[in-house]
Amino acid sequence: MASLAAACRISSRLASGRAARGMCFTTSSRCLAAQNFIMPALSPTMTEGNIASWKVKEGDSFSAGDVLLEIETDKATMDVEAQDDGIMMKIVSQDGSKGVQVGTRIAVLADAGDDISALELPADEQPQQSAQSTSQPAAPVSQEEPKAAAKPSARPEAAANGTYEHNYPLLPSVGLLVHEHGISKEDLSKIKGTGPSGRLLKGDVLAFIGAINADRPAKVSSQLSKLAHLDLSNIKVAEKKAAPAPKASEAASKAPKAAPKSEKVLVELPISLENVVQLQRRLQDSADVSVSVATFISKATAFANSRLPAVPHAPTTNELFDELLGLGKAKATKFSQGAYVPSIPDYSFTPSRRTSATKSDIIDILAGPTKKSSSSPAQRVAPRLDARLAADGIHTFSLLVPKEEKARAELFLERCKLALEEIPETLI
Amino acid sequence: MLASRLIPRSAIRTLPSRQLTLSRWSRGFASASEEKDLIIIGGGVAGYVAAIKAGQEGMKVACIEKRGTLGGTCLNVGCIPSKSLLNNSHLYHQILHDSKHRGIEVGEVKLNLENFMKAKETAVSGLTKGVEFLLKKNGAEYIKGTGSFINENEIKVALNDGGESVIRGKNILIATGSEATPFPGLHIDEQRVVTSTGAIALQKVPETMTVIGGGIIGLEMASVWSRLGAKVTVVEFLGQIGGPGMDTEISKATQRILKKQGIEFKLNTKVVSGDTTSELVKLDVDAAKGGKPESIDSEVVLVAIGRRPYTQGLGLENIGLELDERGRVIIDSEYRTKIPHIRCIGDATFGPMLAHKAEEEAVAVVEYISKGHGHVNYGCIPSVMYTHPEVAWVGQSEQDLKAQNIPYKIGTFPFSANSRAKTNLDHDGLVKILADPETDRLLGAHIVGPGAGEMIAEATLALEYGASSEDIARTCHAHPTLAEAFKEAAMATYDKAIHF
Repeated sequence: MASLAAACRISSRLASGRAARGMCFTTSSRCLAAQNFIMPALSPTMTEGNIASWKVKEGDSFSAGDVLLEIETDKATMDVEAQDDGIMMKIVSQDGSKGVQVGTRIAVLADAGDDISALELPADEQPQQSAQSTSQPAAPVSQEEPKAAAKPSARPEAAANGTYEHNYPLLPSVGLLVHEHGISKEDLSKIKGTGPSGRLLKGDVLAFIGAINADRPAKVSSQLSKLAHLDLSNIKVAEKKAAPAPKASEAASKAPKAAPKSEKVLVELPISLENVVQLQRRLQDSADVSVSVATFISKATAFANSRLPAVPHAPTTNELFDELLGLGKAKATKFSQGAYVPSIPDYSFTPSRRTSATKSDIIDILAGPTKKSSSSPAQRVAPRLDARLAADGIHTFSLLVPKEEKARAELFLERCKLALEEIPETLI
Repeated sequence: MLASRLIPRSAIRTLPSRQLTLSRWSRGFASASEEKDLIIIGGGVAGYVAAIKAGQEGMKVACIEKRGTLGGTCLNVGCIPSKSLLNNSHLYHQILHDSKHRGIEVGEVKLNLENFMKAKETAVSGLTKGVEFLLKKNGAEYIKGTGSFINENEIKVALNDGGESVIRGKNILIATGSEATPFPGLHIDEQRVVTSTGAIALQKVPETMTVIGGGIIGLEMASVWSRLGAKVTVVEFLGQIGGPGMDTEISKATQRILKKQGIEFKLNTKVVSGDTTSELVKLDVDAAKGGKPESIDSEVVLVAIGRRPYTQGLGLENIGLELDERGRVIIDSEYRTKIPHIRCIGDATFGPMLAHKAEEEAVAVVEYISKGHGHVNYGCIPSVMYTHPEVAWVGQSEQDLKAQNIPYKIGTFPFSANSRAKTNLDHDGLVKILADPETDRLLGAHIVGPGAGEMIAEATLALEYGASSEDIARTCHAHPTLAEAFKEAAMATYDKAIHF
């Protein structure tokens, strides 16, 4: 019993702690001698219960610790004890009431020694108010209150549908409007709050009384809620990194949130490496200098990438700003530095950058799309590639680019061809 | 062996209790070979807050930082040291120019720049050590070194003390922050051509200083050196100071006030090139509208054109992580990269580059990892510029609302009508409140004036809770305070101000 009493005390504390609502109303109800007794929550998860039987009759006195009633839940049947001495003034939910919501008024209690015939029934404070503080005899409320219940303001509520519980205290503006327009608690509970966590805002009440457009509060709310999230809707993957074809397509498939990338086209051009290989031999023989084919190709790529015609598009403000800062890839001028990396069958690389390469950059250079974890130094890979590249003179250089960059990519490949076939000497 | 190299003392201490890894007290001292629940790369505001939060959530967490002190840019070379300089330079300036009419006569006032800087360093070292203490207190391991990805689960740390170590993590958080964006064609030596890092550590007060970029960082540094005696010119590409986020009306008001303080502004002006070969740094500038090209010579040039994400040397290529076109790590709404157990927060990714935004994200990301949900309201992140008077704002600006065709109403209140500001003889500025014309719900608050940075907390709270301007106005504000100006502006928004 003691433990149950404790449970009830805890539950009534839970009920009152569920929300710090009803402050202003609680004050007023404390002044009354009679108090509402609400359906207590006997476990933290309990939302409703049945009243098995009342152990006290209307008009009976009881003292703290007496069993007032027996409540059935889906899990168990439990006794509810009185927290304090008192008199059962009125039983609202009779024996056998089913599915009584936690927090609804089930009886009205008077203090011990009160003349109950002289007392008025307190207003049903549901659902704004659930329980008094724990020091009070638990004192609460019902929604299925029989029509007999006298007070006009205690009219039954439509329960569940269409009613909203509001956080109390109300915002100052809301409280004032409620007073000014004499909005009853029932009416208030019909207003849907559009504030954070359904908080009732000034606009909601204004819309309810017809002072402003009915849909305005929701509109403002949705506008503001859009701002509450990071805008990840228009991500553009960096061109530099996305250049190798497989990587780029991977990026597109990976980030569905990324802006739908425009269609891509494949641009190809066969290029002969014969002259390069010859030059390489000449250098080896005459000057004893070994230059790998990879070096030629990356130099040719760098050459071909410089001053490519800019991609045609209207610059955004960001781009303009970036351009000023030198961040943007495309200058608003006619030419821009390209970042293309041709893919060649059996061969993968990225061009060396002008900046002095740090260790990780070398890894970067070598980490090709086909060799994901490749971190072997260039020197080791290059000879093997050389052999393979030298073996058959002509290779197809290809690029996967957005449609609008087709012409630009073609020019790039033409330049690669020129550099590698006609003027390989200028590359070193 | 590895363990003792990485964290010698703590590892030895807990060696006998290794079985008790569940115990609350031993979790921070787990051996390095053990898999961490969370590895954080970067010990800046985002990283260290995440480390502390993760420690509190009972995770085994390691935080890797290469600077040698925690706190990142903010604590070491950003927000904190600049506030020291701003506060003390304001005092100096006030003693020098603003004491006579207050009835205070001072003798010779001298600036000792060395001690001035020392005061800054004391503040910084105290705070960074405080953060280190907090990590320790919450059982987060702090590794001094440079972290880089080996693969999706392993991080190689090049330790500052020499040597190398590899740690594994179930979750990895990228919190590497940002760096100042360099100006193309100007070599930054942090002596004559400086970023904010150099600007908080100048050896002497320059005769002349040019600031490229009239954003928050540029204007704060301009204020410091202008108060200490430099002739400062701010060159800004946009048509307003304070960056694009600042409300235009507030920006104009701020510009007027700062101009009175002696800072010269060149708006809509583009720096074309710079030349550092002669004694003075020469900048060629080009006015966008109708102005003619001119050149500005100055002893020091501050490049404050913004910051860019810093992910260099992180080995992102080893795990195939992509950046967007501005170098930001691509994430989803739960801060996950395309590799779901690797996440990224703070300046290295999207959103405003603000320490408090990073801090919010740090808590949220740890909650996402441990509980599956977190919360940051990006519509409710305040911005503050700590000039004098301060400028602060939260929510949407008037130009934002105009651009989106959202109706609004405005209430303003000048500090010149505020009793406290008047008595303090410090009454430049105004409060401006924007609210929905029908529902009266707060949309934005913009303040330029004394104490704006503190006052914005009230606006942020109101915005977060969906308050109307009437709610603010009907909330009692102490008298006489500067915050009354905020209340009166709210009154002016839904009705009429009393004192104006």
